[in-house]
Amino acid sequence: MANYGMALDYKNCINCKACEVACKEENGVQLGADKHRIWVGVKEIEGEWPLLDIISNTFLPSQCQHCENAPCQEVCPTHATYYDENGVVRVDSDKCILCSYCMVACPYDARYVDDRTMTVDKCTFCSDTRLARGETTTACQNTCPTKVRTFGDLDDPESEISELLRTREHFSLKAHIGTKPKLFYLT
Amino acid sequence: MFNKIIPHKPITVENLFKFDKTPFNLFMMTVTIILLAAFVVGVLNYLIHGHHAYGITREHPWGLMIAMYVFFVVSSTGLCIISSLGHVFKFKSFEFIGKRAIFGAIITIISGFAVIAFEIGHPVRMAIYNTISPGMTSAIWGMGVLYSVYLGLIVMEFVFLSRDDHKWSTMFGLGGLLVGLAAHSNLGAVFGFLIGRPVANGVFYPIYFILSAMITGSYLIFLMYGFRYKMKFDEHISTFLVHVARLLGLLIAILMFFEFWRFMTSIYGNVPERAASAMHALTSPEFLIGEFGLGMLIPFLIILISKAKAIKKLVYASLSGMVGIFFMRYDLVHDTLAYPMQTMKIREYQLAPTWVHYSPSWTEWAIALGALGIMLSMYYIGENFFYLDPKEHDDYFEHYKDAEGHEVEEHLITGTDANK
Repeated sequence: MANYGMALDYKNCINCKACEVACKEENGVQLGADKHRIWVGVKEIEGEWPLLDIISNTFLPSQCQHCENAPCQEVCPTHATYYDENGVVRVDSDKCILCSYCMVACPYDARYVDDRTMTVDKCTFCSDTRLARGETTTACQNTCPTKVRTFGDLDDPESEISELLRTREHFSLKAHIGTKPKLFYLT
Repeated sequence: MFNKIIPHKPITVENLFKFDKTPFNLFMMTVTIILLAAFVVGVLNYLIHGHHAYGITREHPWGLMIAMYVFFVVSSTGLCIISSLGHVFKFKSFEFIGKRAIFGAIITIISGFAVIAFEIGHPVRMAIYNTISPGMTSAIWGMGVLYSVYLGLIVMEFVFLSRDDHKWSTMFGLGGLLVGLAAHSNLGAVFGFLIGRPVANGVFYPIYFILSAMITGSYLIFLMYGFRYKMKFDEHISTFLVHVARLLGLLIAILMFFEFWRFMTSIYGNVPERAASAMHALTSPEFLIGEFGLGMLIPFLIILISKAKAIKKLVYASLSGMVGIFFMRYDLVHDTLAYPMQTMKIREYQLAPTWVHYSPSWTEWAIALGALGIMLSMYYIGENFFYLDPKEHDDYFEHYKDAEGHEVEEHLITGTDANK
């Protein structure tokens, strides 16, 4: 029983996309540009050549926010989307009817259709793979060359993520709509 | 046996092809067959390619199919509400439309189900898990359950109306109306509950759906009776249609009022995402020409200028109105999803780089429009097999002979005597 979350030191991101590759490899995510559980958002450089504002160019790695108050879970007509015992938002593909309501309801565009099962799929914090094998990191965290991601138990005051959130300023995406995301962007 | 449950005319294939071969009837037959063929071809392509046959994407997971489903169920609820004005609320001039309107409500919702069956990825699984693992907080769950109950109730209502059993038909009518309203506002809530989509989120859709359902029902009443009487209305029908026209004028006026304040409140203050989405919707040709021009302005102006008396023009205007209603449903889906969810390229509260594009595939068009063929053919079959008008309005009895050439007997016409 844990309450998993992730902190992202996003300013360290170099947009190498190793996390996207590792995620696909580890979790057997379908190939294809729109079949991704995680992604790196790019904020384009502002200004015109030669007056480019290089500092404006930032990368924003993201994925399912594993909201504590997840709109996707609330709108699911068959409880296919549920919170597991570790507070991770999961999809039970046996129950998913592919009404796509969760995809419409998710404010983060974190869901996609897996064509093999014809059900909705999303980030699981590697619950089926790495965590099931007893490891304590996610694939995206493990592979990151600049150590952007820190995954851990938010309820454990001794965990690295708890320490980070205590000591660093951070923000969440679309916090104003009350979804209580568990992805924290460190500033 | 079946005749004891619901009085009907002789059900034979021959009767189906017994119609006046006027150019208009032949035209309608051709249109219906083409639409049905389109539906079949579309469904076959969907069964081969699955959702890949549709133009939907990760960012725009709902499309024309959802819009068309909404179109049909709004039509159904609308017809149910308008018919209830007669046999539930006892408005005298509306009383005679009961059977025809309720039959229309039944066939439109069945057509809607035919569309949604090919949009939901796993319809059989839906029936199972909606029952054994109900997600009570989901508006889709509520809508699905309520619409199923609603269909059962209006079928019973039609049966009792056909048997001239006004006690039970009123009971089922009231039940159907209440459940239909609940189901329909739930459908609005499917969009209204989307907290991540500020342009849809809020109280507007659940309420507006009821209003627009009544407008849709009125348009369909005009179309059904225009077609039924081939534009030759007697005094009674004319009086009734003038009443519908007045009601329709009032409803469209309220709708325009609603829409005005909806857009004003969405745009005013330039609240991020919501204002941009509303402006995008407001300035789109689908809204200006489709929703507003065809769906509201043309019928409203005809009602206004003629003081609701130009009922023949209004039959044509109802056709324009229904095309407008179609755009309303399409825009409902597209405008809700048009704003990108901001996680791909940008941070919060910056202008979105592009709007999410969506263009229905030919398969979607074939199934969505083809479902109109299902509706038209069911209507035709119903018209041939059931008594959709009260006896005093049904010239069937004067002209019709059964397959053997005998006059149809009285007890077949009026239903079982036991109900009297």
